[in-house]
Amino acid sequence: MSHSPVDRQDAVGGGKRTTDRGIETSHLPFNIRALVFVRERGIIVLWLLLLLFFAIWDHPYFASVANGLLILQAAALTAVYAAGVGIGAISGALDLSVPGVAALAGVVTGKLITLGQPVWLALLAGLLIGVVAGLVNGFITLRGLNPLVVTIGTLSVMSGLAAVVSGGYTIPGLDELTFMGTARYFGIPVHVYLVALLYVVGTVFLTKTRDGIRLVAVGGNPEAVRRLGINSPRYQLLGFVITGCCSALAGLMTAALVTEASPQASPASIFQALTAVALAGVSLGGGRGSLPKVLVGAIILATIGDGLTIAGVQPYWATVTTGVLMITALVIDRLLTQIISDRLVEVGSMSTHVKDGKG
Amino acid sequence: MSQTTPALKLSNIELHYGYVRALDGVDFHVQPGEIVGLLGDNGAGKSTLLKVMSGAHRPTHGTIEVNGQATAFHTPKDAAAVGIQMVYQDLALVEAQDIATNLQLGREPLRGFPFNIIGFVDHKAMQRTSAEQLSRLGVRTAPMNRPVEMLSGGQRQVVAISRAAVRVMESGGVILLDEPTAALGYEQTQLVEELIVKMAQQGIAIVLVTHNLPLCYNLAHRIVVLNRGRKVADIAKTETDMDSVVGWITGAKKAM
Repeated sequence: MSHSPVDRQDAVGGGKRTTDRGIETSHLPFNIRALVFVRERGIIVLWLLLLLFFAIWDHPYFASVANGLLILQAAALTAVYAAGVGIGAISGALDLSVPGVAALAGVVTGKLITLGQPVWLALLAGLLIGVVAGLVNGFITLRGLNPLVVTIGTLSVMSGLAAVVSGGYTIPGLDELTFMGTARYFGIPVHVYLVALLYVVGTVFLTKTRDGIRLVAVGGNPEAVRRLGINSPRYQLLGFVITGCCSALAGLMTAALVTEASPQASPASIFQALTAVALAGVSLGGGRGSLPKVLVGAIILATIGDGLTIAGVQPYWATVTTGVLMITALVIDRLLTQIISDRLVEVGSMSTHVKDGKG
Repeated sequence: MSQTTPALKLSNIELHYGYVRALDGVDFHVQPGEIVGLLGDNGAGKSTLLKVMSGAHRPTHGTIEVNGQATAFHTPKDAAAVGIQMVYQDLALVEAQDIATNLQLGREPLRGFPFNIIGFVDHKAMQRTSAEQLSRLGVRTAPMNRPVEMLSGGQRQVVAISRAAVRVMESGGVILLDEPTAALGYEQTQLVEELIVKMAQQGIAIVLVTHNLPLCYNLAHRIVVLNRGRKVADIAKTETDMDSVVGWITGAKKAM
């Protein structure tokens, strides 16, 4: 079996056909390569199909630069939440306290600005809320408690604190923040720049840097990584801190967009984010997932909302469609994984052991 | 082989769990390049002894010498630092990551200045090093950027053992194997056996704990049998036969 000679060039995989996770597939049979391609890139194909579909249905209003920017603007906040939840999930830390952290960061920044503090200091304090929230979630979870339960608890604490800080009222008149809210630079909304920056930095971090690679590895198998002499808990903590920071950033961007900070935590944000993450095929069990696909997931949600609105369909249908789409995506992903696994066994010498809950 | 300093030598090891004596005055040593089969029935103390060697357990009494130097292990990390690597039954690989990443995790090569400041990993060097290391061990598995989850059980075990091997190779080192073929089929077992022999040829000392008598007989130069925490046999394979070994394991044959 595995004695099949593999020549050196092949072993280093230089210039061979690879998928976006860098999987070497060149000497696998074509049908398996096709299946792997659909599983790895399916979401992008799906998005292109949606674009085509709405371009025809909503002709001539959908396919325009202005509407494209509208979609990106609409996707921005979900994309930031999804980046946080996505990186958290990849590192094995599913964090539900996201909306609470966002609300608290927003009102703290808003309060400081209304108290006359400099804007940069207020923003820094808001982001710091994210770091602290991540550390708290992380330290408690590392004690061996279930992250879901812990973060539901901190969700309550954070949104409660947000109400305490703001006295229960929305803090209005944050016009100082329009530079990162409604402002446009070179005709493009500022949120689009922020999202682009966040995803470029995040993707480079996860795929190119030592800490990022270890973060992903810890999500996949913390015990294995610990045995190699790497401080696993430190990376698990880092996952929570990144989620916290993204949540805080989303909170600040929301406040900047509407120029007021609401203490109300919006549960919709976490569910939108989770939908984008699940559409992107990120395993909630940790260890696998690609950040660019999470971005496509967030954009797909915005595309559906926008396309249906232009067509005059009641907006509730957007929610229904997204739900159906997500479940379909999960089912297809599971089926494909199973089929690829079976095919690999047939081909011999290889098998993919599909772990439960890792589909 | 017995003239050189043992790579790992344990003298008069005792380990008590409350009133239970898990290990009772056990002497054990392994030479560089030697494969020692460590046998015994369930509860005989072989896993406990292995844990003492790997630093997971501290013995109540007794001394440990690595290459002639007396040492004390407080954690598996201490043992790893002096070139002793344990390969666990449950593999401990990161499934979704490729072979190269799994081999280099914890010692990833960085790119040159200025990229090293932010910790940019040199993926090409990682794959090249991995390919070189495996070919030095005579291992041929799959392309280095194939995720571990797409490998067969035997290939995975080979990757896990190779990782331990390359980590101890510079220092000569000791590899502790706990049932390395327990979950594998015939051909896959061959693959792992071959690797174990090659590692010994490279001068690595190997301690092989197993229930699989034929495997032990195929590979080991020397066989050590434990029974109820005591060493009852320590004999070159050529000087004994399987029946005697079974006798020692079950306690039917008297201790040497």
